[in-house]
Amino acid sequence: MTALDMSSEPSRPPTHAANLAPKMDRAPAAKPVMPTKVELRDIKFYYKDFLAIKGVNLELRDKSVTAFIGPSGCGKSTLLRILNRIYELYPGQRATGEVLVDGQNILDPRVDLNLLRARIGMVFQKPTPFPMSIYDNVAFGIRLYERLSPSAMDERVESALRRAALWDEVKDKLRQSGMSLSGGQQQRLCIARAVAVKPEVLLLDEPASALDPISTQRIEELIDELKSDYCIAIVTHNMQQAARSSDYTAFMYLGEVIEFDETEAIFTHPKKRQTEDYITGRFG
Amino acid sequence: MADVALNRSAESPRSAWFDGVFKAATWFFAVAILVILGAIIVSLLISALPAIGRFGFGFFVSTAWNPVKEDFGALPAIYGTLITSFFAMLIGIPVMFGVALYITELCPRWLKRPIGTMIELLAAIPSIIYGIWGLFVFAPWFQSGIEPWIIDTFGGIPLVGALFNAPPLGIGYFTAGLILAIMVLPFMASVTRDVFETVPTMLKESAYGIGATTWEVMWNIVLPTTRIGVIGAVMLGLGRALGETMAVTFVIGNAHQLNLPVLMPGTSISATLANEFAEATTVMYRSSLFYLGLILFVITFIVLAIAKTLLIRLQQRAGG
Amino acid sequence: MSRRMSIAIALTVVLLVLALLSLWFESVAGAVVAGLLILWAWASALWERLPPYPRRRATNYVVLALSYGATGLGLMCLALILATLIWNGLGAVSLDFFTESTPASGNTGGGMLNAIYGSAVMTLVGTLVGSPIGILAGTFLAEYGRGNKIAPVIRFINDILLSAPSIIVGLFIYELIVLRTGHFSGWAGSAALAILVVPVVVRTTEDMLNLVPGSLREAAFALGTPKWRVIVTVTYRAAMQGMLTGVMLAVARISGETAPLLFTAVNNQFWTTNMNDWMPNLPVAIFQFALSPDANWQQLAWGGALLITVTILGLNILARVLTSGRSFGR
Repeated sequence: MTALDMSSEPSRPPTHAANLAPKMDRAPAAKPVMPTKVELRDIKFYYKDFLAIKGVNLELRDKSVTAFIGPSGCGKSTLLRILNRIYELYPGQRATGEVLVDGQNILDPRVDLNLLRARIGMVFQKPTPFPMSIYDNVAFGIRLYERLSPSAMDERVESALRRAALWDEVKDKLRQSGMSLSGGQQQRLCIARAVAVKPEVLLLDEPASALDPISTQRIEELIDELKSDYCIAIVTHNMQQAARSSDYTAFMYLGEVIEFDETEAIFTHPKKRQTEDYITGRFG
Repeated sequence: MADVALNRSAESPRSAWFDGVFKAATWFFAVAILVILGAIIVSLLISALPAIGRFGFGFFVSTAWNPVKEDFGALPAIYGTLITSFFAMLIGIPVMFGVALYITELCPRWLKRPIGTMIELLAAIPSIIYGIWGLFVFAPWFQSGIEPWIIDTFGGIPLVGALFNAPPLGIGYFTAGLILAIMVLPFMASVTRDVFETVPTMLKESAYGIGATTWEVMWNIVLPTTRIGVIGAVMLGLGRALGETMAVTFVIGNAHQLNLPVLMPGTSISATLANEFAEATTVMYRSSLFYLGLILFVITFIVLAIAKTLLIRLQQRAGG
Repeated sequence: MSRRMSIAIALTVVLLVLALLSLWFESVAGAVVAGLLILWAWASALWERLPPYPRRRATNYVVLALSYGATGLGLMCLALILATLIWNGLGAVSLDFFTESTPASGNTGGGMLNAIYGSAVMTLVGTLVGSPIGILAGTFLAEYGRGNKIAPVIRFINDILLSAPSIIVGLFIYELIVLRTGHFSGWAGSAALAILVVPVVVRTTEDMLNLVPGSLREAAFALGTPKWRVIVTVTYRAAMQGMLTGVMLAVARISGETAPLLFTAVNNQFWTTNMNDWMPNLPVAIFQFALSPDANWQQLAWGGALLITVTILGLNILARVLTSGRSFGR
């Protein structure tokens, strides 16, 4: 079913790119291959008449992290934003092709956008706490869909904040404004907000790029925990982050997916010259 | 993830249906603004129709104003409006430049906000305050001190002197123009300051870097770049000056004639409306006043439209 | 010979002739002025003879001095006006001022209670009616206006209405309401004020909403929020402070408006709470009192003027304080 092997060149010997990948134990436990959650078929994206994404085919597997790497402007954020159709806020932007989530094409115009976005959540590059209390931030999404008793809502809020590893830090100040938190905390609040509505897929657009290294690390740990429940797609320009955190990696350049494989493979035996060049820092 | 299906209904989020209603409501009230404008024009037209029918375009050049004989002409009022605004611009524009230049280039950083605030406070003072200040403070001072000197000095000059031959009353076209200048000045200065600030700092810095003086930067860099915006600011001020009522009414003297000397009293369109509307008992009288109002509205509309267009063009240039 | 030189010479000749004529007509001052003008013409001609750098510096100093002078002039006017108001108005402000209605001509004492009340009520009604209209219209321009053909037109017209003569609005409401109902009323006055409120609130609402970062809206949309809810629960909340400031500024603006009330609410010498009646109000009362020969009335007019000015300036300062730290253009 998968077509991960896109090699058209003979296998190359491991390059020093392998040094970038963290040293793993010999013979790592065989990772179970999870089922495909999201399938992209021949995705093209247009800004007015400009073709920004030139035909992408790949799968995102459930309960795994798929990373998108590539130089600035290669289209990775654009691709991510197709998955929850957030581009439709802007006239002049359109996508063709199919995005199948559990077999259902979400690019179909008949799909309800709001319901879609409740199933596919997104966390943005800049932390965006709403101008309301921490509690209301998390409860915001829940209230859109469900009518819960105060105690049930409290539970949901607490469990979301725990999932985002934020509960201990804010449990005494739930009524304070979300904007009173530090940058790293705000981003975790946004993650809590996103998981509170119990999505199936999480899209993370450079979630740690605006944060300091310590907060970044905490976010990465968080992603590692979250992946056991969600299909996660993460865009990052930080290669080490991709190498550390993800199971699959797609390298994009100028609107195309140049190579898509298991992360370990991409970083130790990249099959394409361009991939290797990018990973070893020859361009970026 | 099974509980997802249980808790969430298959329909849209609970309140999505309201989207259409909300959008329609905002659209409705936005369009209402156009409707208001249209309604104003139509209602002025309707009320002015009898006078338009009677006087036609002759209204513009007639100096008659006889409520008894029901003969009305707009020329004194139009003249008054134009000349007071002319004086307001004459005095206001240089001062506007001075203030805008000061705030943008000369003012120490910590002083910028307070001074900007004070200028905007001046702009916020209502027209009637300027009116009574003008009448009770400025006019007497003008009448006792400056005016006689002007009359003596310039009245004697052949030709031009005729413009200055008038008894020193303190009130009149010139006083009204002066008060108007003080009124529209802060507004124009604010807009001009905003216009000046659209010039990229780097552009000015490269000029300073070559050793240009402040004035040279202003004259050679800032003004040419913002020329359109400055004209827009001036026209915005002009538009306001043309329509000002209370400040003018108090100090123009309300003599419904066309007097040539600039120190004589006269009237303006808005002053006429303010003073005579209550006494206009006949249909033709009232209709003539509406005719005047229509003329004023058209004039100010055109001036403001030009101003706005210029400012939009500046914005496009600065942003694009 | 440089051009300036030749201009100076020509001017000298002309002005000398004028000076002589003035003397002939016995205007000494005229001759003096002519003499000064000649001096000035020669000064500018000689200016050119200065070596370049000192000349540039001198020009700069002159211009800067004028600029300082202009600003000083403006500030002095503000100070002068405020001083006059306080000097003349403070005497009128007493307990009676706030508790008694306007007196008849020729009487002493009295206050401005009815005018204060009427102004407050009409301002309140005008704001309550005009603000929602303005906010919703501004929301349309900011949130639904992108790519819309009619939005730029509305924006254009709105900004024109913002600066349009307020007396015209008075005429309009006279035609619309006063003639229809057959009498002047507080409702008509409030309607005129409401029309003046709308453009101000539209502009400030649109500006404030445009300041809200797009990422905030996107984050709300990404949760599956319907658009109206994004606007009301997220965007409005983020812009709330600025929008309220806009309403405050609108209130400040209409508090001092006289012209639109002249033919709608007119004024009322007596106390009334009936909005269907002629409604007393501060601006028109001041207008009537100030232009009358009655000294008591004039005193009350100054007091009213002081009260209006203090209120308006207070609102403006408050609005500025609330938005300090935020940058917003005009």
